[in-house]
Amino acid sequence: MSVRAESVRSGWERATGPRAVGILGIALGALSFWLALPPVHARNTVLPVAVGILGAAAGIWAVSRRERRVGWGAIAAALVGIVGAILATRSSLTHLDIVVFWGALVTATLRWATPLTFAAIGGMFSERSGVVNIGLEGMMLVGAFFGALGADKTGSWEGGLLIAMAAGGALALIHAFFAIHLRADQIVGGTAINFLALGITGYLYVDVYGQQGTPTNLPAIPDVHFNWLQHVPPHQLGSFLDNSFGQMNLMVWLMFPLLIVSYIVMFKTPIGLRIRAVGEHPRAADTVGISVYAVRYSAVVVSGVLAALGGAYLSIGFVHSFSEGMTNGRGFIALAALIFGGWRPFGAFGAALLFGFSSALALRLPDAYGSSAGTLFQALPYVLTLIAVAGVIGRSIPPAAIGRPYKKQ
Amino acid sequence: MSDGPILELRSITKRFPGVVANDAIDFELLPGEVHALLGENGAGKSTLMNIVYGLYRPDGGEILIRGKPVTLGSAREAIMHGIGMVHQHFMLIPVMTVAENIVLASEPTHAGVLLDYAASVERVRELSERFGLAVDPEARVENIGVGQEQRVEILKALYRGAEILILDEPTAVLTPQEAAELFEIIRGLQAQGKSIIFISHKLKEVVEIADRITVLRRGRKVDTISREGATETGLARMMVGREVLLRVEKKPAAPGQPMLEVHDLSVLDDRGLGAVRDVSFAVRAGEIVGLAGVDGNGQTELIDALAGLRRPSGGEIRVRGQDVTRASARRVLDLGVGHIPEDRQRRGLVLEFSLAENLALHDYDEEPNSRFGWLFPRRLISRARKLLREFDVRGGGPQTRASALSGGNQQKVVIAREVAGDPDVLIAAQPTRGLDVGAIEYVHRRLVEVRDEGKAVLLVSLELDEIRALSDRILVIYEGRIVGEYDPKVAEEDLGIAMTGGGSAAAA
Amino acid sequence: MYQRAGGIVTPLITALFAFVVGGLVVVATTGKNPLSTYRAIFDGTGLNWLFPWVSGVARHDAALNLQQTLLVMAPLMLTGLAVAFAFRCGLFNIGGQGQYTVGTVVAVQTGIWFASMPKPAHILIAIVLATLAGAVWAGIAGVLRATVGAHEVITTIMLNWIALWVASYLVGFGGPLQDKRFGAVNPNTPDIVASAKLPVFWGDPQLQGLHIGFFIALAALVVFWIVLSRTTLGYEVRAVGFNAEAARYSGINVPRSYFLAMAISGAFAGLAGAIDLLGWEFHLDLTVVQSSQIGFFGIAVALLGRNSAVGVFFASLVFAALLNGTSARALDPSIFDPQLAGNLTRIIQGLVVLFVGADLLVVYLWQARRKLGLVGRDGLEPGKEPAAS
Repeated sequence: MSVRAESVRSGWERATGPRAVGILGIALGALSFWLALPPVHARNTVLPVAVGILGAAAGIWAVSRRERRVGWGAIAAALVGIVGAILATRSSLTHLDIVVFWGALVTATLRWATPLTFAAIGGMFSERSGVVNIGLEGMMLVGAFFGALGADKTGSWEGGLLIAMAAGGALALIHAFFAIHLRADQIVGGTAINFLALGITGYLYVDVYGQQGTPTNLPAIPDVHFNWLQHVPPHQLGSFLDNSFGQMNLMVWLMFPLLIVSYIVMFKTPIGLRIRAVGEHPRAADTVGISVYAVRYSAVVVSGVLAALGGAYLSIGFVHSFSEGMTNGRGFIALAALIFGGWRPFGAFGAALLFGFSSALALRLPDAYGSSAGTLFQALPYVLTLIAVAGVIGRSIPPAAIGRPYKKQ
Repeated sequence: MSDGPILELRSITKRFPGVVANDAIDFELLPGEVHALLGENGAGKSTLMNIVYGLYRPDGGEILIRGKPVTLGSAREAIMHGIGMVHQHFMLIPVMTVAENIVLASEPTHAGVLLDYAASVERVRELSERFGLAVDPEARVENIGVGQEQRVEILKALYRGAEILILDEPTAVLTPQEAAELFEIIRGLQAQGKSIIFISHKLKEVVEIADRITVLRRGRKVDTISREGATETGLARMMVGREVLLRVEKKPAAPGQPMLEVHDLSVLDDRGLGAVRDVSFAVRAGEIVGLAGVDGNGQTELIDALAGLRRPSGGEIRVRGQDVTRASARRVLDLGVGHIPEDRQRRGLVLEFSLAENLALHDYDEEPNSRFGWLFPRRLISRARKLLREFDVRGGGPQTRASALSGGNQQKVVIAREVAGDPDVLIAAQPTRGLDVGAIEYVHRRLVEVRDEGKAVLLVSLELDEIRALSDRILVIYEGRIVGEYDPKVAEEDLGIAMTGGGSAAAA
Repeated sequence: MYQRAGGIVTPLITALFAFVVGGLVVVATTGKNPLSTYRAIFDGTGLNWLFPWVSGVARHDAALNLQQTLLVMAPLMLTGLAVAFAFRCGLFNIGGQGQYTVGTVVAVQTGIWFASMPKPAHILIAIVLATLAGAVWAGIAGVLRATVGAHEVITTIMLNWIALWVASYLVGFGGPLQDKRFGAVNPNTPDIVASAKLPVFWGDPQLQGLHIGFFIALAALVVFWIVLSRTTLGYEVRAVGFNAEAARYSGINVPRSYFLAMAISGAFAGLAGAIDLLGWEFHLDLTVVQSSQIGFFGIAVALLGRNSAVGVFFASLVFAALLNGTSARALDPSIFDPQLAGNLTRIIQGLVVLFVGADLLVVYLWQARRKLGLVGRDGLEPGKEPAAS
């Protein structure tokens, strides 16, 4: 009733507002670094990492409430804080090692973000047209297997990529048929696609390769070398750039044109306008003569092709072999990246970088802390995804007709 | 301009499972005329026009355009033949701009690849000036009003070169003033040589705008007459097949204590914007208060707040003197507020539930339906049997699924549930939407009965006729504010002015 | 007509179709006769024990096989119920695997602790704690759905992976639960103590006989049915599942229903983990943690069983038979490689999930009969009407 009560409440609201939480996140990020420094000097990374994750979570929460700058700042501060803390706890490192470490981290982040980005962009086409694609995971897996198989059988990585794309497209076509023509539940259908992909790739893998696994001389997607980068002055910058970007896979570089092209297609061409129209209001699109089915079929197939490329990169561009179920939920993380990025290419890329970084970090940490704790850190990308999804869903506005089958009159 | 009809339908027949929606209908449209298609809900008007627009395929009959037989298998083909349609529910994409909506599917491009948005805007501006349809090409559709949305729809058709324009119930969403503007636009289009089919069930406006009128009843054509010599009563008889009774029999109200009181209530909408602003009113026992307003002026948010479904951002709600401002929906129900929601299939019923389960939606957790969380299905069924008889629900028993019932009977189930709880306050939101004449009469009679039992009724409706026929007092809501209170005998024009924010808040 | 029989016809056609496609895969990739492959799988299930003419050694083998099939069926019933319960509230719980894993972890730890407790109490406390753990794990997704609206499909999948890696850490090399007695050479926990093991009622306790967990699962089917159709909670869950908006309008607390439905769903999956661990696994090891699929098969079980108690019973029998019949132990490698067969099972699982969701497929097939001339000209032609509008 009183003015006082009012001001108390608004003060409380301000304290829990996105901006305040974002700033808290930045503080937590800094704290995570500080914990590892004298005088606290935590010798164990668990505390700084935990504090850092809290900071990142606060940042994500703030981003989801439209406090983008402060929020992203908090995420960045938290990640830098975590890395800094790790470096500090290994304080015997020389100066150069730190540069190498950072360079390697940048490379690894991009490497892990690449398959996520391909799949997320694929998902964007499908979901912008109104078809939920939970099956991204399966389409990636199929791409990974057929990429390896194709590369092996044709003896060239280009052949592998083509066959992977065809396989991903074919699997997507099944999803499209059930989602569009049969008007089945798209989430159940996508789950089925994931099971099918697991079964088909597992079956064929055992059938073709048996106990030996994929051959060790599998043709690989080549790396792109930029040797001149190390000569960039000053020396430290040069070696940082070289370590970061000097040797990366072709697919990592292809990711950038893909981002630009998919952005242009989606937002600057008639095709994109029609895809979005179909995803927002299929009946409206239908009444002006757009074929809703044709648009949705093509969009879903494109999503399968792109997800498969992401999967093929994993098998023949990254680890150079195939193993059963090797995508390990990356399709779902890609989906989360897509949602977190607001169904936009560069937003999804930003989220993919975040998740890629956590994967890279999860794989770096065991070096420092033994494999037992390393196993625990494997959960990091999934925890981060969970936080991101919890923070952002319901705030990020999906295409209006997503998940709803369209029935012609 | 040739003399023959620009569009001719010969013996068009369309069947749906269980009904013949169009039975051998003949229809012709002359160049430059406004031809009204008149009929009740379900008479087959929209079906016929959806056939002309290529959305349905007829089971029999012929369509001729400028004397040549054509097949219209899709909207695209209809558009190619110069047919444009403005649907009753607008086919616009809210998150896109006006220009994007208009050029969709035939977009101006740079070299056939990239969208030429500037050219789109320019073409839309040009068209809007030529036909006198003022719109802002760069505004997002979600930010413009209903009247403008309709203009965008008309422009969409014109952009595609429509010579024949079908307007499906175009005034349903408009205020009387906006409707008058629309008529100006239609006359302008007619002057530029366009032929227009005007679908409506409102006699008055048909007589006002049409050159000729074709009346449909239950899927059959009754007759085509010209405006000269058409009278409202004559048309009404043709439309319904008997004399229509537009009046509701009721005794004068005997209002008692205030049952529902609202003070300075403010409510936000889903986007966090103010939808209801500082609203105060009271509904007393034994009266029906009608809330009139154009759709989207805060009615939904107001009802949600009253029913405990949405937290108000300020103000106070009292039921029988008890503060329920922050009460849950369940508590509001328990305090004696019945609520007939505006969309019975989405909000009023669980279609997959049996009628017995639907009738128990409010009190399944009370004795005798259940005890300590244990449900007694037999008791639900026996009570349902009684209620279904009492409320004359036909087409199923207690264990029939709600989805199997007709719309009218579904609404009876909702009313039975809400009234059976013996509420002190009944909120009825658009209780007759989409019902046929018989069901409407039933609902109206029930609402008056509830009033006569000494309960407070708040009626929210977009139909001015309904509001005026049932209410003892009328409140008008505009942009979230109550802008006036009127006697039910008030002229429709005065209500219309208030509904568009015109006139002063000076009220009785 | 198909609609009246749709309740049973669709799952039957679906299962049949899935097996036919599976058979085609066998022919296409190995050239082997699918019928003899399926026959070998069938014999491995032990279901031939039910045939009175099977006798002697064959009967003894069949009994052993059937025990194994029912041993798999028990947790499948439960993970199937987990998915089905959430489905009835309109939620898709793909996280049964993670909830199952959490259940096994809690069960193993409880089974190692409290060594001096009397048997019934020890078993009870282990089961209760594991069930609660499953409920809590799924409850996280329930809370997120109820409060911020995060879609349960993504959150439960992420929780699956988190459960997997946390459990791997706990039982793996250097993990806190690893068996350290013999120099910590193996990534697994010690066995639970005898007082926590479920009694075996059919077969040899030393050779994975059938334990009373099977009856616990059967009891869970009854509980599932009672909760849904005879309690106000079940009424709320079903109302929310069919039409959350209408439920909200009639005063039902929808977020609460989401949370409770998820938690109960997770409880079933956690219970599945408990009976597996206390019934025959007795310890956890890293490969089992990382390769278990019981929770995922629950999805297919629930969908094939149309989310009903009776349906889940039969569907879990089908999948248990399939899983056991294709296991390395039961299937003769000279007839068909069990590793291939295991993946074949996954393909069949995928096909079942794919087809069960598509009722329209049955309508199409029904209508196609006419075109294929399967219906006489004067026969009933249900496809005559335009597809329901």
